[in-house]
Parts: sequence; structure tokens; C-alpha cells
Amino acid sequence: MLLYIVRRLLWATVVVLIVLLLTFAVFFLLPAGDPALRFAGKSPTPESLALIRERLGLDQPWYEQFGLFVKNFVAGDEYGWPGLGYSYNSNVSVLGEVQERAPRTLLLIAGAAFIWVVVGVSIGVLSAVKRRTLVDRLAMGFVLVGISSPVFWLGLMALFIFWRQLGLTGGTGYVPITEDPISFFSHMILPWCVLAVLFAATYARMTRNSLLETLGEDYIRTARAKGLPERTVIIHHALRASLAPIVTMFGLDVALLVGGAIITESVFNIQGLGWLAIDGTLNQDLPTVLGVVMVGAVAVVIMNLVVDIAYAFLDPRVRYA
Amino acid sequence: MKSTKRSVVPAIAVVVGMLALAAALVSAAAGSGAETAKRGGTYRVGWESTFGWTNSFDPTGEYLANSFAINSSLLIRTLVGYNHVAGVAGNAVVPDLATTVPKPTNGGKTYTFKLKKGIRFGPPVNREIVSKDIRYAIERLARPKNGAQYAFYFPVIKGFDEYSKGEAKSISGIKTPNAKTIIFNLTVPAADFPLRIALIAAGPIPQEVAKCFEGQPGKYGRFVISSGPYMIEGSDDLDISSCAKMQPISGYDGKTRLVFVRNPNYNARTDSRKARENNPDRFEFLVDTNLDDIYAKIAAGDLEDEYATASPKIFREYSTDRSKRSLLKVNPADQTYYVTMNLTQPPFDDVHVRKAMNWVMDRSALRKAWGGAIAGDIAQHVIPDVLLGGALKGFHPFKTQGDRGNVAKAKAEMKRSKYATKDGVCSAKECKGILFISDVRTADKGMLAAIQSSAKKIGITFTVRVVNGAYPVIQTPSKNIPISHRPRWGKDYADASTFIFPLFYGGNIIPAGNTNYALVGLTPSQAKRLGVKGSVNNVPSIDNAADRCLATVSAAARNKCWAAVDRVLTTEIVPWIPYMWANQINVLGPKVDTWAFDQNAGLAGFGHASLK
Repeated sequence: MLLYIVRRLLWATVVVLIVLLLTFAVFFLLPAGDPALRFAGKSPTPESLALIRERLGLDQPWYEQFGLFVKNFVAGDEYGWPGLGYSYNSNVSVLGEVQERAPRTLLLIAGAAFIWVVVGVSIGVLSAVKRRTLVDRLAMGFVLVGISSPVFWLGLMALFIFWRQLGLTGGTGYVPITEDPISFFSHMILPWCVLAVLFAATYARMTRNSLLETLGEDYIRTARAKGLPERTVIIHHALRASLAPIVTMFGLDVALLVGGAIITESVFNIQGLGWLAIDGTLNQDLPTVLGVVMVGAVAVVIMNLVVDIAYAFLDPRVRYA
Repeated sequence: MKSTKRSVVPAIAVVVGMLALAAALVSAAAGSGAETAKRGGTYRVGWESTFGWTNSFDPTGEYLANSFAINSSLLIRTLVGYNHVAGVAGNAVVPDLATTVPKPTNGGKTYTFKLKKGIRFGPPVNREIVSKDIRYAIERLARPKNGAQYAFYFPVIKGFDEYSKGEAKSISGIKTPNAKTIIFNLTVPAADFPLRIALIAAGPIPQEVAKCFEGQPGKYGRFVISSGPYMIEGSDDLDISSCAKMQPISGYDGKTRLVFVRNPNYNARTDSRKARENNPDRFEFLVDTNLDDIYAKIAAGDLEDEYATASPKIFREYSTDRSKRSLLKVNPADQTYYVTMNLTQPPFDDVHVRKAMNWVMDRSALRKAWGGAIAGDIAQHVIPDVLLGGALKGFHPFKTQGDRGNVAKAKAEMKRSKYATKDGVCSAKECKGILFISDVRTADKGMLAAIQSSAKKIGITFTVRVVNGAYPVIQTPSKNIPISHRPRWGKDYADASTFIFPLFYGGNIIPAGNTNYALVGLTPSQAKRLGVKGSVNNVPSIDNAADRCLATVSAAARNKCWAAVDRVLTTEIVPWIPYMWANQINVLGPKVDTWAFDQNAGLAGFGHASLK
């Protein structure tokens, strides 16, 4: 197992480097214009542009900039480890920005993930067990609505109804949990639910299909024939086996949301990592974009690893060589 | 008669004195609203998406209009400044740190400013502001490594260029004979010098703090020391005993939150209530990524003001609902929106085609794309009237009924062009599929349809390229872009020179970041150097006329001079289709009591705001 983890981590490093290289290439190959122009004011002289390029390191070939970034990342820079440089736009350390924004995004994901797993898997199980009943049809109706509702629309509607009309929840914005736990929950409950709806619907659908398939297996028939209670058959035998694809998807979903909960973050003004990425992209702020991409890439790799390890516990047949 | 006279004179004097006193009091009350404004409270401003600074709020390099408005009202006092009110009065220079707005001497080439006593920097610097702090600020912006973004306004000071190039140890044209006097010697008479020195980059900067950020553009932005009525929250906790100990001021996190509280060192007696009343105790500028949320919070009283782009729906809501109408503030922002045509690219290398485009254009539809009449007045020439002191009032060379264009006049003009036409409709291949650069703003789509539909009436069609952030493309002369509707321009200060020099002066055409999109005044040698291909010979120029205007000292004569340049541009060179003088629109929250528009900044004048 240890050897497997080490091997995976080495591969992960290669994957992260490739992702970064691609991000660099996108910045240099897309015709977004000269970033130096953003900081040169009106009617800049060629000299002032050259100075800005030199200051930002844009006068170096892209591969040298990339090399410097990797070196700083590994060895750290003046702002700490890992070295992510500083934002072209705000002159703030990107590491500091990531540290500031990451808790917002992670707490958003954690809360939403809890809801979507509990709700999605429960609905999926219920739907599979009560197949072709009213419960099943209602559950699949929820799935249809959940999958087809755009997050931005759902978010705006939720804010309108629960905050502005009913006053049941806190509004937009983020309140640190350490500052005011009640206000934190009051502000986060809507983004959690909105973000969870789409995923819960998908998970319900997947759980239902996977569970129905498992329930048709011979070993389930054997378990029932042995006289095991239906609850034990479903939870201990069927559900455990059905969870493998869901765990895979869960790992990927969580990892992708680290830098990808952009719409939810924007609608609810949470200003987490997704917002940071968008802000950096719109302002040609390469260090900020790279910082978020780096965090996202590492999250994907780590979650993949966690999923692989979780497989071994869910399915004893899985062995790591 | 004699004795009667003797007895009446003192009585008249007393009455006149009382009337004068009463008039002064009334005038003060009318100007400031001081009698009604309530002190205290927090004034919160929702800021759409991102601060968008151009230099991280460092006054030396910061060029965002919002920064001008915030700094000049709240944080930074300059030698001379503005009253931060609407209209012509808001564009007039008034004393701030200086005792008076000096009259130039030495044939308009010397300005001597005397600083008021008792004005101190905010915490943690706390000491009195002296002339060397102004000198330091100007030298700081002269050093190219500090990233000054409008240093080009200051080479008029003698020795500025030499210092900037490292050929001199100081700027020879700045003298500080004592702590309270600063003298500027200029290379040429520049009547707008007080306006230039009122730019926030020329406000006092304490060297003991800013020296730590030498050669690091933008870094001082999180350490700005106040000279105004407010300071960044947490300034008093800044440890300036050494550069290593300095940590960014807590009230500004660089990305999402900028908070001001009262500067304890501010002495209101050194300031004018006409310029700043300083009613709220606190100002908060808060980034919000949800535009709808900003306006919902304003409506709910959770925000007082906004730096955001209101949708036409919001305009409608606030302009039609009587209870909300007073919360919608619409003011001319001294900005011109226009379509630019490149004088070197066919078919716009022919003035008759450019004139025909002006005749045929449905300006009303272009304005509608921005929200209709509320968005601004229809523009008929280059420089907003207010900057010309009304010298071009009533000058509408391409006026058409309802501003919807006049096809007959356009066709007549097109017939006179060198391009083949059939009944005034261009049939030449140069008129077909012309590259048109557009952008992704909400208004761009609506404008594009109107421009295409108008131009088609005279046989001109486009190949449209939509670019997210089109400025870098049209600002590169070597790309030879024939036409674009992306540009708009606002003044940096209330003088027409801030339109003419960046936008039409041939000598200012540069290879990247060029704002003379039409390439007015381009010479063949410049064209070769810049990689411009097309009709580069005989491109018309206004350079000589602009130089003459700049040297004109009298304000009235100067306005007349700029107006003449505008006439030439609008009717003879015709590089633009100006279509709107835009308004600045603010939507206020219900808790706002008094509020003023800062004409110079073109945005809210926070110094006059108060809460109920």
C-alpha cells in the first residue's frame, strides 16, 4: 500500500506540473494582449512598458518564467512556502490570498457535500427500494428538477424567497465561523443547499441505478434466502457494494469544486477560491490564476488518492500492487 | 445735506455689513447643507466584482476614477483641490493645503504655493505636512520604477525629464525655500498647471513610510498615510519604526474591503466645509460579486451607495417609482462615447466616407443600447461642452431628426468620396467586410446592430470580431484596425487638453497602449516605425493648433482655442462618430440624507454625504 501511495504521489507531481504548464501556455498563447498595458496608464511610453515587463518578469521567455515559478513553489519565496508570488493587481501575496479564500470555499464544499451525500444517497436508496411506487416517481421528479435547475437561478430564487421575502436566513457575504458561528450558519445555509441540489440529484440517480443493479446480484438473493432482515441486506450488503462508483464521483466532485464553485461563490458573494480565479483571469493576473490552479490540481490529485484508498475498504477484492 | 450724509453713512455701513453677513451665512448653508446634515454613522458603498485598481491604490500610480473620488474627498489633500460638487463649480480649483490658488508669475511659468499651518499627517506619522512632502511625491512619480501612470502631466516642470532619466539629482524646477513654501518653475506657460498639481499623485507623501516601497509600484497602496479627514482603519497600528516591521494597514485587504475612519489629526479649521463636510464617522467600500445583490442591499438600506453598473431595469424602477426617484442621481460625467475610424484604413481614409458615416449613424439607437436618455446626452462633437465653458454650445454639425441619422445627406456625402458608388451607396470592395472590433459589454451587442444597420444604408458592411477586453487590440497601431465602438474617454481634470493630447496628438502615437486610435497626425516615418500600413501620407494633424492652445494662459481664450480645434476635428478631419456624453448614475440607499456629485472626479463626492 505504501509503495502504491508513493508511486501515486510521484505521478501526482507530474500531473500538477503538466496542469501548470498548460495554464502558462494558455496565458501566453491566447491573444489577451500585453498584461503590462494594464499597469501602464494612459499613453504609456515604450520605456515605462519595458520597466513594467521587467518588474513582472514578463520580459523573460515563458519557459524561464515557468521554471522560476516551479522553483519558488518548491523552495518558497519571500511570502512563505509554497511560493506562489504576488498578485499583479493587488500586490497582495497569492499565498496569503489563497489562505484567506480557501477556508470559505472548503467550508462551502464541506457543508454542501454533507447535504448532497445524505440527501442524494437517501433518496437514491429509497427510490431503489420503493421502485415504481409514488415515492420513486417523486424522487426521480426531484432528480429531474435538480439536474435541470441552473445554480445561478436557484441561488437568486433562494435569496429572494428565504432572505428578502421571508427573512429566514442571513443574506449574501461570508461571516467567519470564528467571528460569529450563528451568523456563519445563517449565511451559509442557502449556498450549501443550492450547491447541494444539483449534486444531490445526480447522486440520487446514481445511487438508485447502482443499488438496483446490486440488488439483482446472486449474493443478495443468497442473503435474503438466509433470512437476513431486509434492512441488513440493503445497508450491509447491497449499499456497500453500490457505493464504489459514488465514492469515485464524490472524490472528483469535491476536488473540482475547490476552484470551481464559481457561480455559487459569485451569487452568494462568498469570494472564495473560484472567485479569486475568475478575478485573476479577467485581470490577466497570472500569479493569482496559477495559485488557484495549483490548489485545484493538488486537490484533484489528493482526492483521487483518497478515493483509491477508500476502494480498498469498500471492496475487499481490490488489492494494490 | 452734508450733515445728513454724515449721519447716514455709518448706518448704511451697518446695514450693508449685516446683509453681507446674512448673505455669507445663507451662502454657506446653501453650499454645504451644513445646517441639515447629521454627523455620524457608516456610509457603505457596494463595489461590483473587484476594485479594479490600476496600481493597487498607490496614489503615485493609481489611475482609476474611483480612486480619484475616494482619495480627494477622504484621504489625500493636495495643494489645491476641488469643492467636490456638481457642475462648473465642481471643476473649479480651490485652495486645499495651500492658502490660495496662486496667480502665475514670470510670464505664466512660475507658481508659488504657500502651505497652511497646522495640517498634519494622520497616524502613525503625525507630523506637520511640509513642502518637502509635496516635492517628494512629485519626485517619486518622476522615478519611472515607481510605476506612475500619469507622470506625463508633469514634464512641464523644469528639470522633470532630466531627473526622470537619472541625469539630475533633483527636479530643478521645484524649490522649497522653507517648510511652508513650494515654487514650481515651468518650461512653458501652462495655464492648467494648478489642475495638474491637484491630481492625487501630487498630494503629500511621507518619505519615512514610502521609502520602504521604492521601486515597488503599488506596494504603498496598503500603507497610504492620510493627509485628509479620514484614514484607512488600522493606520494607527502601523509600526513605522523600520521597513521590516511594517505590515499592511488592516482596513484595506487589497481585494474585498476598504474602510476609512476619522483621522484624529485632521483639523477642520484648515479645510473648507464647501469642500468637505465629513459627516459620516466611517466609510466602507465593499466588493460584492453579485450585482443584483448590491441593488437589493441598497433598496433594503444595507448599503448607501454603489460603484456598479445598474441595469436598465433598475433605471426604470427608480425613475418611475415616485418614492424612489430622489434616490436616483444622474449627473454628466464629462465623458464622450464614440465610434473611432482609422484615418489610414480604407474606406475611412476618405473624409467623405467618415462624414457619411456621421450623417447616417443612428445615434439615438447607440444611446439606447446604454439605457436611453438617462445614460447621457447625444454628443455631436468631441469635447463635452462643460470643458469648453460653453464655447461650442449649439454646435451640431451632424444633427439629424431625432438623432436617427439622415440617409439622404449621407449618400450625398458618399458620392463625393473616391470610392465607387451607385446612388450614394458604396459599391467598392473596400466598403465590404471591413474589420470591426467589438467587445463583450452588455451594450456592445445593441450598439453593433445599430451601427451595422446604419452603415449598410450607404453600402458599408463589416466583419465583426468580438474580443473580451478589446482595448489592447485597438491600442496597437500595427494591427491596423479600421473601426471600433469600444472607446470612451473621460477627463483627468477639467481642461480640454486632457482630451486633445491623448486622443489626437500625432506626437503621442505609440506602439502599444496608444489612445489616438484614429491615428490623427500620423507621419509617414511614424507609420513605418509603428508598422502601420495603409494611406499613411497626408494624414491630417492638429498638433500645431494644440501646442498653441496649451500655451494660451487666459481661460476664456484657451477655451475658445480648444473649441476651434474641436470644430476642425468634428467637421474637417472627422475621426470619430461621437454619440453620447455619458452620465454618471448613482442609486442611493434610503438612509442617505445629503449627497453631492463630485464633478471633477465624475463620481460621488463623499465629503458631502450624510446619513439620516
